Amino acid sequence: MNRVRAILGILAALATGCAAGDAPPGAEGGYPHAIVTLVTHSSPGGGSDVFLREMARRLGPRMGVDFVVENVTGGGGARAMSRVANAPPDGSVFYAATPSFIFTSLMSRPANTYADLDPIVNVFLDQEVVYTRAESGFETLADVMRIARTGAGRWGAASPGSLERQALERLARAADVEAAIISHDGGGDLILNVLNGTLDIGVGEAQEIRGQLDAERLRLLAVFSEARLPGLPEVPTVGESGYDVAVTKFRGLMGPPNTPPDIVETWEGAVRDLLEDPEYREVYSGAMLSPAFMPRPEFARFIEAFAADTEAFLRESGVLD
Amino acid sequence: METVVDGLRMLVTTPIALAAAAGVAWGILGGALPGISPSISMALLLPFTYGMEPRSAIVLLAATYVGAEYGGSIPAILIRTPGTNAAAATLLDGYPMKLAGRGGEALGISLYSGVLGGFVGLLVLMALTRPLAELALRFTPMSYFALGVLGLGVIASLAGPSLLKGLAAGLLGLMVATIGSDPVSGVPRFTFGQPDLLDGVAPILVMVGLFAVSELFLQAGQGAWQKASSESARIRWPGTRLRRRLVKPQLIGSVVGAVEGVIPGAGGTIASFLSYNEARRWSRAPEEFGRGSPEGVAAPETANNTVAATALVPLLSFGIPGSNSAAILLGGFLVHGLIPGPRLFEENADAITGLYAGLFAANVSLIVIGGAALPVCLWLVNRSKPVLMAFIYALILSGIYSINGSLFDLGLTLAAGMAGVVMRVLGFPLLPVVLGVVLGSLVESNYRRALLLSGGDHAIFLEDPVAVVLLSIAALVVVGSVGTRFRSRRKEAHA
Repeated sequence: MNRVRAILGILAALATGCAAGDAPPGAEGGYPHAIVTLVTHSSPGGGSDVFLREMARRLGPRMGVDFVVENVTGGGGARAMSRVANAPPDGSVFYAATPSFIFTSLMSRPANTYADLDPIVNVFLDQEVVYTRAESGFETLADVMRIARTGAGRWGAASPGSLERQALERLARAADVEAAIISHDGGGDLILNVLNGTLDIGVGEAQEIRGQLDAERLRLLAVFSEARLPGLPEVPTVGESGYDVAVTKFRGLMGPPNTPPDIVETWEGAVRDLLEDPEYREVYSGAMLSPAFMPRPEFARFIEAFAADTEAFLRESGVLD
Repeated sequence: METVVDGLRMLVTTPIALAAAAGVAWGILGGALPGISPSISMALLLPFTYGMEPRSAIVLLAATYVGAEYGGSIPAILIRTPGTNAAAATLLDGYPMKLAGRGGEALGISLYSGVLGGFVGLLVLMALTRPLAELALRFTPMSYFALGVLGLGVIASLAGPSLLKGLAAGLLGLMVATIGSDPVSGVPRFTFGQPDLLDGVAPILVMVGLFAVSELFLQAGQGAWQKASSESARIRWPGTRLRRRLVKPQLIGSVVGAVEGVIPGAGGTIASFLSYNEARRWSRAPEEFGRGSPEGVAAPETANNTVAATALVPLLSFGIPGSNSAAILLGGFLVHGLIPGPRLFEENADAITGLYAGLFAANVSLIVIGGAALPVCLWLVNRSKPVLMAFIYALILSGIYSINGSLFDLGLTLAAGMAGVVMRVLGFPLLPVVLGVVLGSLVESNYRRALLLSGGDHAIFLEDPVAVVLLSIAALVVVGSVGTRFRSRRKEAHA
């Protein structure tokens, strides 16, 4: 036992030694904490978990910090939110925010909501794509709408309170069609129902369906972003296809309320620089993530607008009253 | 064939073989403790598999099942107390053999038959699940709904003596399944403002509470079991002549085990007793049965180990747990985000290959560990019961806590345990509750999805061929088992 402990001690020393050695000049002691906890509501291996771990691996040496990723799962993010909202606002705990934390805040009204967290910095936008099975007759979104106009449209989203669901509802409204919009218990269920022809189209993150795209069992019809994606230049946006809808799935960091400005500044600088790192760029563009650095003021406005939009949508669709 | 090669490769490149051996060892110990059934041994391990690589985790659980089915025969033979329900049939001839000074021989027969049964079961499992997987891509929401209905229909056959109590238990499970976010709109239901309930009640908490915690509560109220003498701690492998004599009961045991395992709701106990009966009927020396016949040990022990593999057929191909142990294994799959059923073959064929390889390794290691574990089992059975039970409590609760680090989960598990005690005392079966919890959301969400697709027209269920077939089978299962129930009651009334 003692030997194991000794070995662990040596490894830890090596790890911190390496971390300090790799740090660019000026970074040592630049951050007030040696250990920083990054909280996510996703389980190990889930979207936000992978995002945090990839980022922490590269940000650690730069900031001279050991990052710990803590998976506080359950409650659709409610538990993770309250974990961070009740943490000391000293820059030692942050939360990986995605649209789902706004949905949970609005729909489940937990004790702590998105409004109890301070926006720190946004890192990425994750792009939502519209896909169909390879042998379906649909070549463009207009083809999909032709069926939908007859009342036989069948569209799918991964989960009920999700950005994908919202995107489809908006698309139906923009195209002025009545389509059955079916939510699922997760991406896997949805992909299966698109593959077996139960659904005309599905909406999800490009990364989720990569395997099926590469195997040419699924095809992309459009992306929900404002502009075409660098990784998918041949796929038109939904806007270009004639329907004025764009949705953005963000991935950013939120902190406990009243996080001091100097901490926020440190993070703004670190994230901006990290996104420029060529090695990291290769990783995130491979995962079809678009860098979308937003400093605190901009991110705060973005979150506020996003929440207002979502709330209006939920009220209109009758989920909230 | 490809699966076999892949599986063998996994045995040498991944820790699967290790997990299999560990599971077998744990299972034998658990099985040897009276009151700790195979499903409880598995439930105890379940929370600890959370941090493991998925394949090893599942193999660990499945191997525990294998080990426990053999382990149960140890106290049955040595102290006339079956360690598992299925071993109750082994006792009938195993204990008389021990009294005649042939305890080691009886244990050897049990081990030898168990290993054989395990291999037969594995072959059946591999042969049956693959063709069923071909259906994978054709499963629409309508088919999933029908599948869930079929699973719930099984309640009719495993309800125990009272159909009404079985249905009530199933209903309770379905009610628990409605807690959490609405699967279609996302609106919270029955969460009472509690964020911990937004994701619903995890089946694992219900299972561990109902099966393991309630058993411990009840065990606490019962006296200690008989002590085992350590002189019998040597296994004697059956000789050539005896082995030849055992071929027939083993054949009977494996056929009965294969059939009973595949049918959800039958399980190892029924298979053991059925095969014991058949072995006696076909035996050349039926008068020896009940007085220490080696055949009487071989048949049930072959059968229950065959079931340990074949009970996975309905679980893997349709996601329906047909027995308590299969339900726990389902929990193991779910903890790792693997959903047994048609999709598993599409998305995680690896996990299935790993499971086959692991079961193979488990049966091989059973030969070695089965003998080596005997002294340990005897030592364990002779410990003070309160100390053992306290230790198991600690194991369960720390395990549950480790899943989400949530005290709320702990409370839910204990509450499920209390409910389990009440249900057992009142004679309600437990498995229907688990089926309700597991299948409730599947049935509900796919029913609603199907109606969204059709704009509210129920005819959509009849347009889907898979759904029609599954619903027909469900109807047959329900009518058949209710009919059997009715006939046996009439028979009783006449007698």
